[in-house]
Amino acid sequence: MEFLLENILNLVGFLVGLAIGVMSYIGFRNTGSPTLFRLTIAFLSISGGFFVIWSGYMLEDFVIKSGNIERGIQTVGIVIQTVGYFFIAFSHSIKSFFPKSNYFRSVGILPFFLVSTVQLEHIFRSISFILLVYGAIETMLSYRDNRNKGAVSVALGLALLALGEFLGWYSFVFPESILYTVSMTIKIAGLVALFIPVSKVPLKKIKFDDDLDKI
Amino acid sequence: MGEYRTQMKIIGDILHTTRDDLQDEDGATVTYLIRKANISHSRISRILKTLVSQGLLEQADSQGSNRYKISPSGREFLQAYNSFTKFADNFGLNI
Repeated sequence: MEFLLENILNLVGFLVGLAIGVMSYIGFRNTGSPTLFRLTIAFLSISGGFFVIWSGYMLEDFVIKSGNIERGIQTVGIVIQTVGYFFIAFSHSIKSFFPKSNYFRSVGILPFFLVSTVQLEHIFRSISFILLVYGAIETMLSYRDNRNKGAVSVALGLALLALGEFLGWYSFVFPESILYTVSMTIKIAGLVALFIPVSKVPLKKIKFDDDLDKI
Repeated sequence: MGEYRTQMKIIGDILHTTRDDLQDEDGATVTYLIRKANISHSRISRILKTLVSQGLLEQADSQGSNRYKISPSGREFLQAYNSFTKFADNFGLNI
């Protein structure tokens, strides 16, 4: 059951991320907007992350058949997804995400060399959780200004992804419980909520125009 | 406090004015666009120059002053701009 849900989640994540990423890229090509460029990187990264994990499960299912996905592949997928979540949060102007001191910058990366892939996975899951919560709050706040109902759906989607991420991380404490299944179901619901408003944007007559890049 | 506008939003405002809010058929004067877009003369001059060179605006010399009208490419750009503004709005962002 978990294996099936995990496959559905990663496939839906890959497709939704790819669809939003491609739409953002078309927007960037047509308008030259840096915001749309950041969204392109964000959603293509999220899509790539889900794809890596999905490939890991497929590889496990059809080739390796050990019963468990290779931990390293899962970690790489989660790291790529975290990069995507960072760019969503970054689009909302995170101004002091990185420490200013060069010393802290150099020391800051050190712990990543001292921990195993399992621990790395949990570190990146928690970073993803923080970035998703930040993105959800900022998107919800924007609803006050533009009263766009789509923003509520995107905020809900990000919040559900954050909750799913949290429960997924928490299920580490209770490995045999239903928590992990619930977390994946919530994440799938989050991805669907994220895609609903984007799918309603009319893009029928938009085409690429190279001359507009320099605006 | 005034709302912060990105360069893209200012370009969108100028193109909207030249499409929907013209004084007459000859096009809009720089003074009219400054008032509508609410930016300085030096800044709008730079933007207008870029928009004309990119083919989004057409420049005509009428009654001794430069006038600006939206071009077919400008209309296409504006359509894309409007669609992707809605797209970015869903994420709580400005393009």
